[in-house]
Amino acid sequence: MLQRFLDPRVLAGISGLDLVAKTVVQGFISGLHRSPDFGFSQEFAEYRAYTQGDDLRHVDWNVFARTERCYLKRYRGETNTQLMVLLDASASMGYASQSVTKLDYARYLAASLCYLANQQRDVAGLIVFDDEVRDYVAPSSRHGQIFRLLHAIEKAESGSRTDFAKPFIHFQQFLKRHGLVAVISDFYEDPDKVIRTMQPLRFRGNEVILFHILDPREIAPGFREPALVVDLESRESLEVSPEYVRHEYRDKMDAHIAALRDGAMGAGMDYFLMNTGRPLDEGLREYLTVRQGRM
Amino acid sequence: MGFLAPWFLAGLAAVGLPLWLHLLKRHRSTPTPFPSIRFFERRTQSSIKHRRLHYLLLFAARTALVVVLALAFANPFLRWQSGAGAGGRKLIVLAVDNSFSMRQGGRLERAKREALAVAARARPDDRVQALAFASRVQQVDAIQAIAPDDGASSYAELARALRSLAPAAGLPLEVHLFSDMQKTSLPASFADVRLPDGAALILHPVASGPLPNYAVESVTAPARVFEAGARVQATVAGYGAPAATERVSLVFNGKVQASKTVDVPANGRATVEFPAIEPPFGGNRGEVRIDSGDAFPEDDRFLFSIERSEPRRALFIHDARDPRSALYVETALDASPATAVKLDSLSVEQAGGISPDKYAFVVLSDVAALPAGFESAVARYVREGGSLLITLGPATAARGRVPILNEAVVPARYEAAESSDRWEGVRFFQAARVESRTARVEARLSDSTPLLMEQRVGEGRVLVFASTFDNISNDFPLHASFVPFIQQTAQDLAGVARQSPTLVVGSHLELGTGRRGAAVEVLGPSGERALSLEESTRAQTLRLDRAGFYDVRRPSGRQELVAVNPDRRESDFSPVPEETLALWRNTGQPAVGSASQAEAREERRSLGWYFLAAALALAAAESVLANRYLSVNREAP
Repeated sequence: MLQRFLDPRVLAGISGLDLVAKTVVQGFISGLHRSPDFGFSQEFAEYRAYTQGDDLRHVDWNVFARTERCYLKRYRGETNTQLMVLLDASASMGYASQSVTKLDYARYLAASLCYLANQQRDVAGLIVFDDEVRDYVAPSSRHGQIFRLLHAIEKAESGSRTDFAKPFIHFQQFLKRHGLVAVISDFYEDPDKVIRTMQPLRFRGNEVILFHILDPREIAPGFREPALVVDLESRESLEVSPEYVRHEYRDKMDAHIAALRDGAMGAGMDYFLMNTGRPLDEGLREYLTVRQGRM
Repeated sequence: MGFLAPWFLAGLAAVGLPLWLHLLKRHRSTPTPFPSIRFFERRTQSSIKHRRLHYLLLFAARTALVVVLALAFANPFLRWQSGAGAGGRKLIVLAVDNSFSMRQGGRLERAKREALAVAARARPDDRVQALAFASRVQQVDAIQAIAPDDGASSYAELARALRSLAPAAGLPLEVHLFSDMQKTSLPASFADVRLPDGAALILHPVASGPLPNYAVESVTAPARVFEAGARVQATVAGYGAPAATERVSLVFNGKVQASKTVDVPANGRATVEFPAIEPPFGGNRGEVRIDSGDAFPEDDRFLFSIERSEPRRALFIHDARDPRSALYVETALDASPATAVKLDSLSVEQAGGISPDKYAFVVLSDVAALPAGFESAVARYVREGGSLLITLGPATAARGRVPILNEAVVPARYEAAESSDRWEGVRFFQAARVESRTARVEARLSDSTPLLMEQRVGEGRVLVFASTFDNISNDFPLHASFVPFIQQTAQDLAGVARQSPTLVVGSHLELGTGRRGAAVEVLGPSGERALSLEESTRAQTLRLDRAGFYDVRRPSGRQELVAVNPDRRESDFSPVPEETLALWRNTGQPAVGSASQAEAREERRSLGWYFLAAALALAAAESVLANRYLSVNREAP
């Protein structure tokens, strides 16, 4: 059931990004209830003996009545983690070998992350970029923030080519408070350059997650015959042969993914490859794992 | 190499199809959007070069497939030489003509030498079969053992033997014919010399060319004479010979009786007659020969036999009231002295103590009843080989049965029934209807009533004439046809042939040894016995294979001298026309040259099936290559 709801092709049939995000997150959370390993905010954490100077408002008087000892209740979820979603809306994200484009998938993921953050009362923000910053929703925990985020995500359209360096200058202006940064992109860039661009965010104390969005046909293009491929960003074209794609292209793509993963790990970032043919919950799980680490 | 259907080579134009597929079509790729071509950069070019190398292999397979298919449909063939030096296993038939004409000038020896030479050239895996043929075909084990024959060569017999030999051998035949190629050896119907399918005929003519030849073609002489003054007539023929005057001699028992010269026209015939000869009593070996001599002396003599004896006597038994029949018959017999039969006419009453054994034949002319002893004597006489003529009239019809035969007789009357066949105008008023199932009917009346019947009784035979010779029941004795009828019937019954029993080599002599223990003794031309002891009692006929005199001694004690001459067709050395020989060779298979040309006989071997098999192999290779290069990669990402 969970798999069916989180299938990108099923989600594409749901109108309204808020409903998509709600469906994904609620379905995902209901699935998590079965897992004893996960827990999150607003939950009871522990009792601690009262010491002088502690706020008396946190004393559990019921316990005192039974035991005549003062204990303080400690809660989790009182953190105020900031989630910043960086959504790549370059032209290459408009590619689709099936009904869902990479950008659609990225939007579902971004909306689900924002919705989940909002559910946990985390502060969430959004930056949509290609070679420029196309849209920006400042992080906030105010009422109605989720709708602003979803609106910005929904109107994101594939633009021109990707350039990490140029918009990240602006990111650093926007990201004054350290928190959690989710970068959703297809990363058609030199892995070193991507890592170098992201490293300042990590130095500022942010947890950085790289969501690498790739279509199944990008990983393994099954060309039957020689094809003239046209670059969606540069509009350049090249003739490719099936056997080249079958062997050398795969090697290069695997090398690119491996370099990105290794670079991210080396820089203390998290990397997660998201295949648009697979369910969204893997991305959410990755987010929550990192989120747990910050509490 | 050539093509049986060269117009299919136009299919080679289809080579353009793979050319177009590989060199033109692939440049028209449909643009495919892709997120980034960063991984298809410079090395993509080298990749395409690599692919082209592989595609060239596929291109070559496809091109070769089209070419081979076009060639397969064009049906190419190879010309290859067959004969003594090439070809598969075959049966080599060496047919040596040993007919009478091959005696001329050592032709047979030359034929045998050439046959041995051909046999020596045969390959080890070939089978060789030697045949000797004249009027018959014989398989021989050794060519050197082939002896000359007196028969006439027959190419029809040879072809028949080859047609029966071919299916039994199961191999293609290569027939080498060693003969003098006489035109007279060909049958009347050319279809009779048809060769078996696939047989190659190679001719080895051993005659140097046309040869002028004179021969005694025939001799006409009486077989038996009773007095001096008989006449012998001989025909001398020239075959392809100029006009010449030849000296011809008549010889009896080795002694020249008379000689004459005769002018033989060019390529024609002349008759020479020896009148009033007087041969010695008894059997005589006669011969008419050309004394001049020519290139082929073997046919310059013609043998015949002639017997001088007293006239034969016949017994004529008639009713006392019927003297007319005897008168008519005796008058008819006396009309020709050559008949040599004297009639003893007796009435029934006078026949009581007469023995029929000393008579050549007996006539019972409408007799009702015979003396008992005489009837049994006649019956025994017939059973032991005697001849009997019975005429049926009112007396016999009143008795109701045929004497001796005991067949039932039914009288019949006619207004004026006429006999059929040669007795035109003869009218029959009365005839007896004989109910016999064993008799052979020789003549019938116009209403199909049997008039003349023949029946064998024991060793002898009985002729039944269903009417009389008295000029009452019919008017036959008054017609001209009566005399030859009586004369021929008398000679036939008396066993006296009018002409000399001269036979040709290859004919059969009737022996008629049906009676148990009765043996016929036949001495051949060299004096040897022609029959074994078993054959002498059982053989019905004897084939006369050699020329010369055959001395035949019948069980009845009668001795005959039979002269056998070679067939005079062998005297004509005119060769078979070359066109006819070419046609003959073509009956087996396509034209084959003469002996020298036949060594290099050309045949065609089709290669169409090989090309078709190659096309199938190429199609399979193309499928493998195309599957390897052009298949969709379905592996999961």
